[in-house]
Amino acid sequence: MDQNTRTEILAIHDLSKNFGDTVALDHVRFNLYAGEVHCLVGENGAGKSTLIKILSGAERADTGRIIAFGQTYSRLSPNQSLALGIATIYQEVELVKSLTVADNIFLGHELKTRFGLVDYLTQNREARALMDSLNITLPETALVQDLTPAQQQILQIVKALHVNARIMIMDEPTSSLGIEETKVLMNIVRQLASQKLGVIYISHYLQEIFEIGDRITVLKDGQVVDTFDVRSTDLRTITKSMIGRERSLFYGRDAVETGAVVLQVHNLSRFGHFENVSFNLHRGEILGFGGVVGAGRTALMNVIFGADRRDTGEIILNGRPLNPDSPRDTIEQGMAMIPEDRKVLGLFDLRSLLENITIVVNETSGPVLDHRRENAAVQEIVKRLHIVAAGIRQMAGFLSGGNQQKVILARWLLSKAQILIFDEPTKGVDIGAKEQIYNLMVQLAKDGKSILMVSSDMPELISLSTRIAVMREGKLVVTLHSKQVTEQELLGYFLGIHDN
Amino acid sequence: MTDLGATIKRRLLANQWSFLLIVVVLLSIIAGTVNNRYFWPGNISNLLGQISVLSLVACGATILIISGNFDISVGANIGLSSVVMAMLMRSGVFPPLAAFVGVLIAIVCASLIGGAAILFRAPSFIISLAAIGVFQGIALFITQGTIQTIYGQFEFLGGMKIFNVLPLLFIIALLGYGLTHFILTRTQLGRCVYAIGNNQRAAYLAGINVNRQKLIFFALNGLFVGCAAMLLLSRVGAAQPSTGTGIELQAIGSVVIGGAPMSGGKGNVLGTFCGVLLWGVIGNALNMMRVNPYIQDVIIGLLIIFAVAVSSLRLHAEKAMME
Repeated sequence: MDQNTRTEILAIHDLSKNFGDTVALDHVRFNLYAGEVHCLVGENGAGKSTLIKILSGAERADTGRIIAFGQTYSRLSPNQSLALGIATIYQEVELVKSLTVADNIFLGHELKTRFGLVDYLTQNREARALMDSLNITLPETALVQDLTPAQQQILQIVKALHVNARIMIMDEPTSSLGIEETKVLMNIVRQLASQKLGVIYISHYLQEIFEIGDRITVLKDGQVVDTFDVRSTDLRTITKSMIGRERSLFYGRDAVETGAVVLQVHNLSRFGHFENVSFNLHRGEILGFGGVVGAGRTALMNVIFGADRRDTGEIILNGRPLNPDSPRDTIEQGMAMIPEDRKVLGLFDLRSLLENITIVVNETSGPVLDHRRENAAVQEIVKRLHIVAAGIRQMAGFLSGGNQQKVILARWLLSKAQILIFDEPTKGVDIGAKEQIYNLMVQLAKDGKSILMVSSDMPELISLSTRIAVMREGKLVVTLHSKQVTEQELLGYFLGIHDN
Repeated sequence: MTDLGATIKRRLLANQWSFLLIVVVLLSIIAGTVNNRYFWPGNISNLLGQISVLSLVACGATILIISGNFDISVGANIGLSSVVMAMLMRSGVFPPLAAFVGVLIAIVCASLIGGAAILFRAPSFIISLAAIGVFQGIALFITQGTIQTIYGQFEFLGGMKIFNVLPLLFIIALLGYGLTHFILTRTQLGRCVYAIGNNQRAAYLAGINVNRQKLIFFALNGLFVGCAAMLLLSRVGAAQPSTGTGIELQAIGSVVIGGAPMSGGKGNVLGTFCGVLLWGVIGNALNMMRVNPYIQDVIIGLLIIFAVAVSSLRLHAEKAMME
């Protein structure tokens, strides 16, 4: 395409957005031409989702301008966004699964007969015609629940086209698809572009992006690093600009001597999530688990902690086989879990700091509470972890993300856990609290405890882990010594670039 | 308004129970002004006696609702256990023993509801809704629909008054509140009530045996219900299958008016007590003011809506602050 004949349909100028103290977007600029696929890449937390949410009207920018089809906006409401023809297709399928393909296409603006009833026949016919015009072969009368994930993604596209979408935003559309299905979807995306739609395409899979994209914009820590033309760049340049960052973000940790093996995992599988995973965890070790979202890391931790069933394999804890019925059993054996989604899986938001912190020891402290001892223990740990709160009676829901994380950590420190599972320990945590949590984790290792840490934060993974186990598509592909690996190499393992 | 006035106002509105207490006092002042017999010992004594049975049922409901569960079959449970008590007494069984057996039946019935809800992973609300028919049917079958009068065999609990004013019934109700308060604030079990109600998944992941604890909550509720049935039988002197009908909604209403969200995780006994008190005082005060009985229902309904609105808006504001 010639530079001069392209029509710019969307331009973003100096868009900024803060969430409290966290900068989500920092003077972002971005533009989109009709008929191009513009890919957006960046690590988790780089600001991609926030940008999409602002374009779809779900979030409001603090400052900046959006120019769509010649009109300037300082913010878009969901309705404005829809009226402009901006359609977002999320990785979570948003369809009514118990209705047919045609019903879903016409959902909310059904065709009516003379009597005001839904005109299924005409709907089916028009749905067929619409899909034929796109060379899409979905059975219009099939129920959505009977479609494959790929077909469901495609249906979402058709649905968006039916309401005259002119800008299509696709957020990780292939993350749950197989290779063949991905190809089909990518063909459709190319076809959309050939019909003069603008496509904003977000994906973790860089090879896919090189196949499909016209331009690539790299986001990092809320800033645009650069926009590249696909024909004049390569994978190396992109990965480098994705991760290139200041050294200060790396945490300098003290070395800890590791000891004997405390936990052995052999050929552990939970079908559909992960398969044949084996590793050893040593005393004093922080074993990091890296990989892209959906690689099976959290599912693995849930099985080890006893929250989910395994299909095959064994877990040996301190030389004895571990066959837990529930987390209660693993907790008795000295395990702990600090989950990724702390609001849903960890926190009692309506309850006080005190109740949140004592909930695990409560199980072993006898039927009647000793308020004085409890108070003293909680006061001590709140001070030790620098938890900022109005007092130990404050409701935990009112605390900041970092302090909530520390409250959950405090619960396990009080229970004297020996093996701690941290799932994304610093997600949504501000920089100051982040460093304190790192210090604590290293102190735990020094005290002879062992840690399994799932993290999608590269610097965190490299600087905190003793070793890094990389998972990809449910398999543990390699275990690396963190001292010998660079961010770029690690990203290569995550995405499967090194071994082909 | 002065600063002091503003502070007092904020203090009083900070807790649902203090707000309810204000409403109760205002109602009492109005009723007492219209008809000074409202404050006569006879009426107060009567009022306290009236709310005693509801108090015990509301104690059980407090524990269940805070833990995120419901048992709306408690009315039918009272019907069944009180007719069993009455029939045993009529057939010559030593009254305290008969009462004990009745309480046991109430505990078993309530536990069965909890057990079924846990086993089938079904909402306890629906299970207990279905159980109403079961309990009432059994009670109707064994009594053949007749009233079981016990001819003053078991009057001691219901009739005794301390200093001629304070009914023993009310003392027992206070003991029930005390026990519930102790459980909720001073025991391992109480912590689990709040934890499971606030976030069941997190409670499971923190090592709590959620199913076993839930069963205990239901059994405790059964204990309160059984005691309520015993008091009611003693007070009325007769039992029939429909005894207790409607009390479940009053009890749930009292807990929610008292500031506990229907979704659980929060609440306290003081709130429930004030909720029960409000319920009792409205009816009594309207009677004393000789309000037309048809209009009474309208006023009671509107006042309850008002009280729930204040409670809900407060919870909502709190949630908004958390975001």
